[in-house]
Amino acid sequence: MRRVGLIAVGAWAALMAGCAWIAWHASYTTDLSAFLPRSPSASQELLVEQLRQGVVSRLILVGIEGAPIPALAALSQELAMRLAREPEFAYAANGSEEQLAADGAFLMRHRYLLSPGVIPERFSVAGLREALDSDLADLGSALGALTSRLLPADPTGEFMRVVELLGADTGPQRRNGVWFNSTGTRALLLLQTRAAGFDIDAQERALARIRSVFDAIAAQQNASQARVRISGPGVFAVAARAQIKQDVSRISLLAVALVSVMLLAVYRSPSALLMTLLPAASGAVAGVAAVALAFGSVHGVTLGFGATLLGEGVDYAIYLFTNSAPGSGLRRSLARIWPTLLLGVLTSVVGFSVLLFSQFAGLAQLGLFSMVGLIVAYIVTRFVLPELIPDHFGVRPPAALGAAFASLAVRARWLRIPLLLAVVSSVVWLASRGHALWDDRLESLSPVAESEKRLDETLRRDLGAPDVNYLAVAVARTLQGALEAAERVGAALERARRAESIDGFESPARILPSDATQRARQAAIPEPDTLRDNLEEAAQGLPFQPRLFEPFLKDAEAARQQPIVTARDMAGTALALRLESLLSQHDGGWMAVLPLRAVREPAVAARELSGLNGVHLLDLKAEANTLYRGYRDQALHLALIGAAVIAVLLLAALRSARRAAEVLLPLAAAVVVTCALLSLGARQLTVFNLVGLLLVVGVGSNYTLFFEREIFPRSDPQRTLISLVCCNASTVIGFGLLSFAHANVLHAVGGTVALGAFLSLVFGAILAAGRPVRG
Amino acid sequence: MIELGQVQQARARFVERRYLKVLKSPLELSGTLAYEAPDRLIKRTLEPRPETLTVDGERLVIEAQGRVRTLRLQDYPVAWAFVESFRATLKGDRAALERFYRLALEGGPQRWQLSLTPRDPKMSALIESILIDGRKGRIGKIEIREAKGDRSVITVFEDTQ
Repeated sequence: MRRVGLIAVGAWAALMAGCAWIAWHASYTTDLSAFLPRSPSASQELLVEQLRQGVVSRLILVGIEGAPIPALAALSQELAMRLAREPEFAYAANGSEEQLAADGAFLMRHRYLLSPGVIPERFSVAGLREALDSDLADLGSALGALTSRLLPADPTGEFMRVVELLGADTGPQRRNGVWFNSTGTRALLLLQTRAAGFDIDAQERALARIRSVFDAIAAQQNASQARVRISGPGVFAVAARAQIKQDVSRISLLAVALVSVMLLAVYRSPSALLMTLLPAASGAVAGVAAVALAFGSVHGVTLGFGATLLGEGVDYAIYLFTNSAPGSGLRRSLARIWPTLLLGVLTSVVGFSVLLFSQFAGLAQLGLFSMVGLIVAYIVTRFVLPELIPDHFGVRPPAALGAAFASLAVRARWLRIPLLLAVVSSVVWLASRGHALWDDRLESLSPVAESEKRLDETLRRDLGAPDVNYLAVAVARTLQGALEAAERVGAALERARRAESIDGFESPARILPSDATQRARQAAIPEPDTLRDNLEEAAQGLPFQPRLFEPFLKDAEAARQQPIVTARDMAGTALALRLESLLSQHDGGWMAVLPLRAVREPAVAARELSGLNGVHLLDLKAEANTLYRGYRDQALHLALIGAAVIAVLLLAALRSARRAAEVLLPLAAAVVVTCALLSLGARQLTVFNLVGLLLVVGVGSNYTLFFEREIFPRSDPQRTLISLVCCNASTVIGFGLLSFAHANVLHAVGGTVALGAFLSLVFGAILAAGRPVRG
Repeated sequence: MIELGQVQQARARFVERRYLKVLKSPLELSGTLAYEAPDRLIKRTLEPRPETLTVDGERLVIEAQGRVRTLRLQDYPVAWAFVESFRATLKGDRAALERFYRLALEGGPQRWQLSLTPRDPKMSALIESILIDGRKGRIGKIEIREAKGDRSVITVFEDTQ
């Protein structure tokens, strides 16, 4: 081996070792937020934060099934108790009385500071008389028992007002003391993880904990027939990652196997096969390492391309080997084809490089991965392979194969008219589809399987868990500022509720009123003597026992003197959790979130909120879809820019508009027809199809370049034809297998590229055939 | 009880007196009762404030002051005690009664008194006992004694229709 060669091989080995180490230690994610913008607008930022780590992202819904009610209830009790002690969970609710009792005690103790009914008029003679009259009527009602129990301490009904306001008495029905679905077949629990939804490793640990604790309890209670079913955003993320991992590893293996079989049949040389796989594998490892270094973590979608980079990464070596007969001199062949290969690599790399400018981390990762992967595969082919193989090495593809391809290629010119018709009808079809061509919903990117979605919907309905679309968000510098803002938003939303444009809303300020509001309520309670006089006057002529209301007088005075209620006072209650989910620290400030229920007229709610400073009304669904449309439009723009840059590059390299057009035209035709075929039967295209089309241009340009520069200009094009067909077949195998993946991302990209790459080759042959031979 | 079990439909007026510890004098309510076999009971209070209480199976619907509330019967033990004793007695469903109460029957078919004591400790913390007086296939009076000293006496009158 020459000195230079030694250096090349040594450098390659060191680089690969380093990249492999980085790739091995990289963290892998699959959450949707990698496909959300990096520098979004204020409201998009809030959306992204909600999706990544808001309370909604941290909920886990649990159902226990498959046993009689008492057994399920016992399992639920034990599971909730054990999980509440585990570090992964902020809380585990199953509706048991102990949990409700803690909330009830807190609300009862602080009812005068929490109830909006506490205003000065409430404690005047007229206000108290009204309250006592209503109490008397309530005593006669079916629910009189509760009134008579609360009456001495709370004649004005502040406790019930707070309970109703916070909806603390709603929830799923209870059987044997815990939450059940309506048919009693499933015990229900609601968990919240401490870790954010995007932290998939932590979510996975939490899920594993639920299962292991459940299995232990089921074994203890001899309820092995009972099953636990778990759903929620974290569950989806974990499942998606596992699915993508499984898909990627299985498909990679299968692709390597199939490509190997094909190449073995053509090369009839195992060592040529190994040498062909080497550049592709090097490229994939380097690509993953580059993404891990640049982005901190690798998205599963990016990883999915590892399997398929094989399809293009092997191309350079295939060109090299199929063009080298034994003894003809490997280096000579390399010297002959490497300018064409370089141009091919450059067009692909330029095409993908535009993705780096994408706002979306996911797309940028794809771009970086593909660029680094291709460049490394090319460099390894150019500088490392020749050092590892003796120069006289070569392969003898079956002669009949080359002859068959050559005769097909010559006859391909007869297909020019059908090709023209196909392109024209595709353009007409695509134009007629208009905007319906694209699926504008962000969910179209979601990797969640249908069956998992259904389980989630069922559990959510059973539990009445929040499934909000509209959020009012108020941002302020301090906690008190955020609570006061939430109170102003609440007042505005209350007007919208009275106008029946919304059904209701939640607010952190209902659970924890601002200090100012609490002080105003304290000030609304009269001095003890005044209150006693007012009460005695109000009770005149009513049949209440004398001195019945002593507890009330005592509690009211205590409330007047007590310290302001803080978040600390509600530690250990479910309310603390609800508060935490609605109120969070945010970039050095505080953010209050008010989810709206059943919004009928968003415009009315928006108008009520429009005068308030620092308040946004988020339509999560619309915002997400806008985000996605922006994402898609940007991907489309970038793809067009990429195509334009490729055109300019070819023009500069080939120094002829006609020759550049000969390379580009088949590609354009392939993209148009692929697009039309994909959208047949009212199927809509997603951004993943679009990315696939960009890959088609990047990959397909290599084929048409070879047609233009290497095949028809030569008198004996058979070997180059074989190499082209092999390259194309390996790409179609790699991406075609990907289209069988479960994850819709891989499925969409795989199908698009397999189809588009195949068409590029065929169209390239059709358009190139019959051109005059250039010398 | 066999005779009672044959009741398919019954309508009656009632007067209820509630003796509550928080009040110096009893509250008096009146209205109508209707029973439809097997599980439906409607108690319609007309005076002093209209309120309709419908029990169908395990569901309790309360309509009062223009508001309808649907609740689970088991969450409201006092209402449950009244409903179950009344309903099961009319139904002649001795097993249902036995499940929740210890029974003692006195007197003969002409004039009988059934007393019910809750079995469940949670229930007996609220309800001390229920006494039902009747003649032949009709209930005449129900007295519910609550553990904390409150009691209700519901007198049922033959329907005038």
